[in-house]
Amino acid sequence: MLSDSEVAELLSFLTPSTRPDVKGQATEYILGLSGNRDGCRFLRSKPDLIAALFALTSDPSIAIVKDCYHIFINLSADETLHQVLLKDVKVLPVLFKNLLDPEYPFSDQICTILSNLTRHEKTCKTLFKVLQEDVGMAQLVQIFCTEGYNKNAKLHYLGPLLSNLTQLPEARNYLMDKDRCVVQRLLPFTQYQSSVVRRGGVIGTLRNCCFDHAHHEWLLSDAVDILPFLLLPLAGPEELTEEENEGLPVDLQYLPEDKKREEDPDIRKMLLETLLLLTATKAGRQTLKEKNVYPIMREFHRWEKDAHVTAACEKLVQVLIGDEPEEGMENLMEVEIPQDVEEKLKEAYAKEQEELEKEEEKRKQAEEEDEKKKKSDSEQTDREQESGLIK
Amino acid sequence: MASTVHSDSDDGMDAFMDKFKTQRYKNAFSENDWEEEFNKIPMFMKNAPEEIDPQKYPELACLQSIIHDEDRPPEEQAKSLKDEGNAYFKEKNYQKAVVAYTAGLKKKCADQDLNAVLLTNRAASHFYLGNMRSALNDAAAAKKLKPDHLKALIRGAQCCIELRHFSEAIQWCDEGLKVHPTDKKLRELRAVADKHKRAAERDARKAKAKEKKLHGEKEALLNAIKDRGIKLVQPVRAHRSGSDSEDEDERSPAAIAELSLDGLSSQEVTGAQVFVDEQGSLQWPVLFLYPEHQQSDFISAFCENSCFTDHLAVMFEELPPWDADRKYLPQNLQVYFEDEEKETLYRVDPEMSLLKILQHKRYFVKAGTPSFIVLVKGSSYWKQFLSGRKIHGLTSCSN
Repeated sequence: MLSDSEVAELLSFLTPSTRPDVKGQATEYILGLSGNRDGCRFLRSKPDLIAALFALTSDPSIAIVKDCYHIFINLSADETLHQVLLKDVKVLPVLFKNLLDPEYPFSDQICTILSNLTRHEKTCKTLFKVLQEDVGMAQLVQIFCTEGYNKNAKLHYLGPLLSNLTQLPEARNYLMDKDRCVVQRLLPFTQYQSSVVRRGGVIGTLRNCCFDHAHHEWLLSDAVDILPFLLLPLAGPEELTEEENEGLPVDLQYLPEDKKREEDPDIRKMLLETLLLLTATKAGRQTLKEKNVYPIMREFHRWEKDAHVTAACEKLVQVLIGDEPEEGMENLMEVEIPQDVEEKLKEAYAKEQEELEKEEEKRKQAEEEDEKKKKSDSEQTDREQESGLIK
Repeated sequence: MASTVHSDSDDGMDAFMDKFKTQRYKNAFSENDWEEEFNKIPMFMKNAPEEIDPQKYPELACLQSIIHDEDRPPEEQAKSLKDEGNAYFKEKNYQKAVVAYTAGLKKKCADQDLNAVLLTNRAASHFYLGNMRSALNDAAAAKKLKPDHLKALIRGAQCCIELRHFSEAIQWCDEGLKVHPTDKKLRELRAVADKHKRAAERDARKAKAKEKKLHGEKEALLNAIKDRGIKLVQPVRAHRSGSDSEDEDERSPAAIAELSLDGLSSQEVTGAQVFVDEQGSLQWPVLFLYPEHQQSDFISAFCENSCFTDHLAVMFEELPPWDADRKYLPQNLQVYFEDEEKETLYRVDPEMSLLKILQHKRYFVKAGTPSFIVLVKGSSYWKQFLSGRKIHGLTSCSN
């Protein structure tokens, strides 16, 4: 890497008073460094450089600021850098202050950095504490849910940030505070068309929240009414009988014929997992059965092509149409699983995942072949076609 | 032994005291009406009179003028008016409360908190009077003066809910929750408004689906008629544009397709309409006209596959009461339809299916109800009716 004298020279270029072109070259160079793991690790040993770069985020030149933020996005993606960033360079207070500013042009970059910083529990915990002091979760949710809060930034990455934060029970408890109206504000975003990042972040947040089965009853009650918002992305335009319609939650009745389902299979899977979580308690199972979730899943199952998602759907359907578990096991989350059974389950799960992968690969390949065939058919080439993996 | 133990100085006192034993004092309460009398004294009043007549209630009028003395600073006056309004409000006299609060606001005092309260209280009064818009306006004005005034925020949300402006109601609640994040009432109102909003959205979707279904059914019916080559015509009086060539237009395929079912529904009293039955056949409401006796009969569902002979046999199994001559026997009857434009009568073959008849190139279904003229062959009316008209026998049907 660089020698000590080279580092010192570089540092001298990172002052506000340096000529813009020199400054620019220096930041460009470091950006290159930050792009790979070794470069990141090297920078980790030079907190002075990082501090200088952070100071440069207030530089008048937009190009320089952009590069600096880009560097921090890269740095924050590496967990080993988190300690330096939070403790030595102390980025959080400044980042939060700028995030709150509705005019700040680089808020999207800040959101990405914060999202990176919260991926792993340790830093997440530290960040959450500072967040509560400087901004407060309530304000964060408020900013997230206010359309056009910042004219220069979309703030979609607050979604994954929230999702990461909810790995902490303290964050979940705040979101699901019965005396406040916090989680309710997130619900409409399960259908937010313009950003898969925002949508996925919200659904990830809701899924995490549903790990706390103590809150299930409240989540399913009118005070929150989480169920329709989880089902809507999975519901399609298929016509249901009048009887089936009338039994559904209000938001799912009489859906128009141009209703589209969630396009991202990972998000579909997350939704199904969240619904499955809600069937952990007896009351939850009962509610889902009463609210006619089954017809929605029936049509969904017919439509779904991805093997992983179908498997998740089938698991849910099994609980919906299956018998009630025996006494003592009504809360599926609290059932004691003996060690050897757990081992076997893990093995079985791993095997199932492998098989699903293979199935999914096959299906994707078949789709691709179909596409290619259509293409060459329509081009009407004369050359002989090799037969592909067509089922 | 009441001895005269009065000292000189007590003379007047004793004499004064003696009077009470014998004399009534002036303006005493009588035993009969002392309760009423009590009620007239301001301090002991249970209810204040609606209007204060200075003659009857001089003390009250006096108090009033003290309260509403124009010399007092506006803040004080406004506050008194607020108290007055509140008192009326407690008695559920909302009209009077509004008057009092309005007077208080007119003082335009500098105390904005007080003004916000006056507005909020007036909003509440309007709310209970059912004047939702006025209530909402007042709540909004109060909110403008004091954006964190909880009662104004709650009232505004409630008004929006009553007015069924659910999105607006949610906005009010959210504004309120920003300042009062843990307020239970705001939270509850938000949940209620949200629920109603989503129910209203569902109702809109349901109505749209129903309309679509109905439209689909209409279209299918019109297509069935069109496919058979049957021509529909709007009755002339219902036609709006009134162009000279309206008949021509109405016979073109496009015009037929555009005819709404209103053009099909019978203008007659019956309200019956053509429909497609379970076997896919059309069932028509058909009018039988008997011009000789100015009578008519109506068959609500004449299947296109059946023929006149079948129906006439049933209809004239028993001769109708207006058939004075007893001559309308099924075998004597002849059926005609009139081509108005060409002023021609066409004779109908009663063994032919209705469908074939309707498909005749000169047959036009008016107002969705095919009608036919029934005459008794050989009768004098028959001779008279047919004379001077062009008549065609029915040989072929559609073209």
